[in-house]
Order: sequence, then C-alpha cells, then structure tokens
Amino acid sequence: MAINKQHAIDPDKCTACTICITACPVTAATRKFRGPKMTGPALTRLRKLVSDDDPMLDYCSNCKTCDLVCPSGVPISTLNMMAKNEYYKTHPRKSRADDMLAHSEKMGKLITALPMGSTFAGMGMAIGKAFNMMNAMGITQNAKMPTYASESFISKFKKIKQTSYPRKVVFFSGCYINYNQPEVGVDLVKVYQKNEVEVAVDEKFVCCGSPMVSGGYIDDARINAAKNVKLLKGWVDKGYDIVTACTSCGLMLKQEYQELFDFAGMADYAEHMYDSIEYLAKLNDEGKFNTDFVENSTKYIYHAPCHLKVQAIGRPSMELLPLIPGMQIEEADAGCCGISGSYGFKADKNEIAMKVGSKLFARIKNSHADLGVSECGTCRLQMENGSGVHAIHPLTVFKKAYGL
Amino acid sequence: MLKTTVVVIGGGATGVGILRDLSMRGVDTILVERDDLGYWTSSRFHGLLHSGGRYAVKDKEAAKECIEENTILRRIGRHCVEATESIFVRAPEDSEEYEHEWVKSCAECGISAIPISMDEAFKLEPNLSRKLLSAYRCPGAAIDGFRLLWQTVASANKYGGKAMTYMEVTGIETENGEVVGVRIRDRWTGREDKIACDFVISAAGSFSGEVAKLAGLTVNVKPSKGTLIAFNHRICNRVIHRLHKSSDADIFVPHGSITILGTTSIDSAPDDTSTETAEVVEMMKVGEVTFENIYDYRILRVFAGTRPLYSADPNAKGRSASRGFVALDHAHEGVKHFFSVCGGKFTTYRLMAEKVCNMVCEQLGVNEKCHTAEENLVDDPSPELINRAKAVFPSYGAELASSRLGNDKLERVIERIEKQPEMKELVCECENVTRAEIEEIAGEPTSHTVSDVRRRTRLGMGTCQGTFCAYRSVGAIDKEDVPWSKDTVNLCKDFLETRWKGIRPVLWGNMLRDIELTRAIYDAALNLSGVEDIK
Repeated sequence: MAINKQHAIDPDKCTACTICITACPVTAATRKFRGPKMTGPALTRLRKLVSDDDPMLDYCSNCKTCDLVCPSGVPISTLNMMAKNEYYKTHPRKSRADDMLAHSEKMGKLITALPMGSTFAGMGMAIGKAFNMMNAMGITQNAKMPTYASESFISKFKKIKQTSYPRKVVFFSGCYINYNQPEVGVDLVKVYQKNEVEVAVDEKFVCCGSPMVSGGYIDDARINAAKNVKLLKGWVDKGYDIVTACTSCGLMLKQEYQELFDFAGMADYAEHMYDSIEYLAKLNDEGKFNTDFVENSTKYIYHAPCHLKVQAIGRPSMELLPLIPGMQIEEADAGCCGISGSYGFKADKNEIAMKVGSKLFARIKNSHADLGVSECGTCRLQMENGSGVHAIHPLTVFKKAYGL
Repeated sequence: MLKTTVVVIGGGATGVGILRDLSMRGVDTILVERDDLGYWTSSRFHGLLHSGGRYAVKDKEAAKECIEENTILRRIGRHCVEATESIFVRAPEDSEEYEHEWVKSCAECGISAIPISMDEAFKLEPNLSRKLLSAYRCPGAAIDGFRLLWQTVASANKYGGKAMTYMEVTGIETENGEVVGVRIRDRWTGREDKIACDFVISAAGSFSGEVAKLAGLTVNVKPSKGTLIAFNHRICNRVIHRLHKSSDADIFVPHGSITILGTTSIDSAPDDTSTETAEVVEMMKVGEVTFENIYDYRILRVFAGTRPLYSADPNAKGRSASRGFVALDHAHEGVKHFFSVCGGKFTTYRLMAEKVCNMVCEQLGVNEKCHTAEENLVDDPSPELINRAKAVFPSYGAELASSRLGNDKLERVIERIEKQPEMKELVCECENVTRAEIEEIAGEPTSHTVSDVRRRTRLGMGTCQGTFCAYRSVGAIDKEDVPWSKDTVNLCKDFLETRWKGIRPVLWGNMLRDIELTRAIYDAALNLSGVEDIK
C-alpha cells in the first residue's frame, strides 16, 4: 500500500471504479463533497497542471473508509491530505481552528503545565462558548469538547508501582490519553499487569502527527515522525513490543508514516506494533490471557473506529469482551461516527459530522445499552454527543472485570 | 456552387495556417478537410513546441526557424501553449563530444541553453534518472494541436475565412491548364458540390501525393510513422529531451494532464496509425534511461501519426529525408495556380503558411504583407469572464475550459450553467469536462460524433479512457436539436472503439484492470455487444 516514494503523489493505480464514493460517509452526508475519487486521484492529475481554489479538500475527514474499500490499494485519503498540505502553502486558512486542532499537543502541554490549568481551560471553554468566542475561532458551539485532566498520564504513570515481568511493552499514550483521559492509560497498565506484562513509557515521544496530517500540516507531522520513528525503533531493538490505546495514533505510527515519509526503520518497528486490545488478543491466542474475571451485568454497545477498521486487525474487542461472564455486548456496525479526530469540532463541519454519525446515534439509542465502548477517544465523545450514552475504552471494561 | 478565390485542401496545422494568413490579407479562402480538424498528423504528435535544440547540430536553418516560431507562438497562441521550458539531459551512454558541439550550435542558432547542476535538475524534475550526467534548460514548450487548429480557424473566421470539415475533395478541375475549381462531397450527407476558385493549395500532409493525383500530378511525400505513448499523469513539468543525436523515444512532453513519450520513425502508408506492443516495449527501454521508474507509470494509450516527409529524391527515406518544407508551384508541371506544401514541422506551421501565401499572393497581385505573427489567435478572456467562470465551474475547471473554448463559447457555456446549475455536473471526471461544455460543443454544426466532441473538450482522454464518460456523454448529447445523437448504441460503440484502439497494444498492469471494468459496464451491465442481436 505504500506510495511510490520517488514519485510521492501517484494517482496511477486508481481505475476510477467509484466504489470509494459509494462508501464515503462525507459524500453521503453532503453534496458539497464530490467524493474521494475526485478529490484524491482524479484531481491529483489536474493539480499538477493548474492551480485553483479547491474548497473540497477541506471536506475529506481522513476517516480512511475509502482506503479500506479500494480494491486497487490506492492510498486515497493520504493523496487528499498531501494535496491539502500543498494547497495551504499558497492559500489562506479558513479559520484559526485548523491550527489549534491540528496542534492539540501544544495546547495540552500548555494547559497541564499551569497550576489549575485544566480547571481554567474548562472554564475558558465555557466562557468562550457563552461569549460566542469559539465560533469566531471556527470551533463549533454544538459539540462537547474534550476536557483536560488535572494531571497528565505520564505524571500518573510515574506513581504506579509495577511488578517486573519478562514480557515488556512500551506504551505510546498519545495526546488524548496523556492530557485528556489519563485514566485510560492507567487502566492499561493495570490490565497489562494482570496479564504479567510490564509497561514502559517514553517521555520523549511526541504527538504522532495524526491531527496535523488531517489538518494539512504534513510538514509539521514529518518533524514529529522523525523523532518518534527513531525512538520506536530503539524500543523494538531492545526487545519491546509497542502498544497504543488510540487507534489513530496506532494507524499513524504503523501505516501512515510509511505512506507519507521515508525514514529508515519504519517497517521494522511496525511489525511489533499492536493496538492495546489486539495485544491482549495475541496473549489470548498464546493461551496467556488472564480470564479471571468477575461477573459484569452492564449492557454495552461497541463501536469500531474507522482507524481501527483500516488497520485490518479485525475486532479484537469483540473477540475478548464476550469472555467476561455475564457480558452483554453487541457491535453497532453503523459506520463512521463522524467526528474523525478534530473534523467534527470545526464550526463548518459539525453539521456534516452529526449527519454522518446519525445512523450510529440511532443505533446506540435503540440498543438501550448502559454504556458505549470504543477504542478511540474522540469517537467516544461523539457517541456521547450524539446519543447521550456515556462511552468508555474497552480497557476500562477489562479493569472492572478484573475487580480493580 | 460555392465561389472563392483560394481553396485550401487539408485541415491540419499548415492548412489552417494558410487559411488564416490569406484571410488576414483579405483573400477569399475556403478550407476543406476530409475528416475533423486535426484528425491526422497535427494531433498525432508529441504536442511539442520545439526550441530548435533538437535540430541545432544537424540542421541550423531548421533550428533557427524553430526558435523564431517558438517565440511567436508563445505570444500569439498563448492559450494553446504551456510555456513549460525544456531540459536536455545527457545519459552515460550519450557522447560528451556531441554535448560540446550542441552547446556551440545552440549559441550559433540563438537558442538559450543554460547549463544547470544535476542537483538543480533533480529539484526541478524529481523523477529524472539519477544516472544522468548533465542538463540544460531550453525554451521548449508544450502545445495543444487540437486547440491551436480550432483557434487558428476562429481567428480566420473573423476575417471571413471558412473551414468545412468532413468534406472530401473528389476532383480538381482545370481549364486550359489552369485551376478553376474543386469538386467536393459531404461525407455525412453524401451531397456533392463544387467550389469555383482561382487557386488551390494542397496542404494535405501525408496525403499530398493522393491530392496531387487528382490533378494528374506527382508529389514525392514519404510518410514516416511515429508512435507515441501517453502516460496517465505528468511525470515531468518540463519537456525532457535526451542530449544526443536525434533518435527514437527520446522526448517526454508534459501535455495537459498527461505525459507523451515519442517517437519512432518507420516508412508507412499515409493513413497508417496502427501501433504494436513491440514498438512500445522498445520505446520504454529507451525511455527508462531518462526516467528510471518508467515502468511504474501507468500507460494510458498508444497512438501514431505519419510525418509528411518530402524529398525530391523519391528514394530518400525516414530520418534522412528533410524535415524542412517545400512549397511546390505545379505550374512547372503544366497545372497553373495549383500549389502543394509538403514536409515541415508543427512548430513552424505559421512560417510555412507565410511562405506559400507569399507565393500565391504574388501571383494574385495582392500586396498585403503577412500579419499572422502580429495578432493573437484568440483574445484573452476578461477578468470579469474568468470570475464568472470560476463561480460556476468546479475546481480546476475554469482555467482549463477558458483555454479550450475561447471567449464566445466560454460565455455561452457559463450562461448554460447560470441558467441550469446542474449543467456543471462533470460528464468526464478525469479531465473535468462539464455537461454544459459537452452540450455546447455537441450542438455545433462541425460535430458529428462523440469523438468530435472529444477533440474539442478532452472528454474521455483521461484515466478511465471513456469508461464512465461514454454512456454519460451519449446521454447528455441525446437531444432534439442534435441530429446525430439518436443512434446511442453505435455512438457508444464507436467512441469506445476509438479508445480501445489505443489501449489494445498496452493491455497490462493498471490499464488491464481498468479495461476489465469497462467490459463489466458495457458488455455485462449494458450488454452493448448483444444489442444488435435483439434488433
């Protein structure tokens, strides 16, 4: 699937079959977007010829459903993102939201570095909303925004006493877990310890770059990738596997880096990369998954994030969660939730995002589930925004099942 | 019966150049073309506007003509020319001595050849082979044959010049050894007619011999077939020449959304546009020296045209025959007021026209000088018109459509979309051609087939090669006021056949996968091959 590096922008594999258009959730939601085939491979040919205003580039949410369905292996969404990156070198941005949402790590660092920063950030957002400031920045007033934690995951991690085991993983927490939902990371360590896995973290890891790529800041993402690739390769060389608990981070580090960049060692460490639940499924295959669970009578509905689907690793959560005694869980199987990382937070995209997710929201509501489950942090937010049902990471379900 | 002063036979570059030149000098002129404008040689070429660099060593006169005409065409034909510049690159297998001689020759001919470092060359053209040794920037460019012809005719129209397509010349009439008219036949209606005239100029290119025969004369044209490969996208943004003695498959031209590699040189019949896989295989081997990843690039199609090489010596052949041109006054052979213009290059079409028109005007007693180098073929669209276009066309559509259409038609297309916004739907997604444009061109009296519309709009010339736009365009064209639009089955078939002709010799890789999709749509879903049986 890797793009021919020497000729990085390559539309040649597309047969124009149009299957991507039939699968694209954004195309189905708005006539303003003429679909992945057109925006990706078809216009790539014309972009080499003439320059023009290209408002459609902004409509691709980089959910990657097109890549998933493409029978020709065209990295369609990556072609879109590369075009977007080039486009904004010569065209003004529509709003400041692009920059802010693409560089969420900067914001996270800033807020958690201040005493009471997260409280003020939360208040700031409330005040901002009240005074219509968010709208002025191009951020929607309608979506529940991620809140910031008072203590980062890295800081919490340092306080955890782990038992040392020969089986070791390095956990790439990513920004969302580090700054917004550190408890998911803590749950990971607890669940992994229960499975005799020792977890390491690396403070030198930086944002994977996924929001930068989606926002059309590939050049910034390249800087981050250079740092992460070197570190990840180093951990794998030391005998560690790599796990992520955010499917977008996982996809970025494992696959999109290889589509976009040309750093040495990317393919080497990618073989040792696992989604956090995929890793547990691997333990299960080896007969080493701890199934010493307490009964759980909560009713769950599971939503598979698009960025999990495109990794082609199946549905490890749907494989393992039913092992919990009394477990009532069903898969929503209702397509994309619409949020696509930061896409749905943008004022001009929120309506589209809600329309994309409407099928999922109805599905969740009709299921009468107590809780939603999904590996992706912003998917969980969107599930809550759209259906009113709280959603958690599957790791949290396992933690509870271990009686922790 | 029609009446005019001069009849020009042949709607290629030379013919339309003569039509425009004479019309501008106030001479009544009608051009007749057996097929569509640019059906033959004038579109079956690289689309290269020579800098002259290629001829600098061997033929300084031709090289000088090229650079002069190049400069003129960049100015007067700016809507047909992509002023890309060109790069000459020397590979390890190419002679270093030739490079020195070439640099000297370019200077003598007044062709700018700026040496650049290979690092610079790779920065400008990242796909160039890393094995190349030296590079020079020259003022070559890409030129669109179809567009140049139609815009030249549009310019001639303003001065009263007239072009008739699908009009076959069936006879040249003489009285007392002097031309008095031509007999013509409309190939669509079968209607026969006559144009009374004082002069006939044959600009029939590779068919010059056949036209001369109508007047009982002989013209020694040696058609030489050149095969070209079209790649799916722009591999380079500049014309890339190999810096060596001119040879096969050594020029890449970025042409619109595609890249063209050519060419070959084989003696052939004038109408031989056949292509073979073996030729493509050989050309790719040579092309690989310039672009080392050439086998990764998708081939769209392969096509061929014949060069109308002229030689007074009937035994001269191929590349050794002169690329220069001659204007023959057949008075010496007993037919007065009948001229043939043969040979030459697309780049120098205007100059050829000027020279032959000078000869004709002298005999006509017309003193008006040639003005074709002074006036642009078409006016630039006004900023207001471009803004209106940008408001209605999809992204990347406005500029391309305005260059293709010229002002009057552009305005009519814009009006169609302004009136009916759904007209901005893309019939051809690969080349960004709107329904409005298809309907506008289909409704013109010069259009008789979907291929005619294709030559004017680039419909079906992109990645899918008609897979999606064949049925869409036939559907869009099928209207009360388009008389030829009724037989939708055969329109579809004919259009797909013309696309298939170019695909068949290169049926592998991505193109093979694409054609299977075409088959699934037309053979399986639409049962196009089975329709006749039901009738």
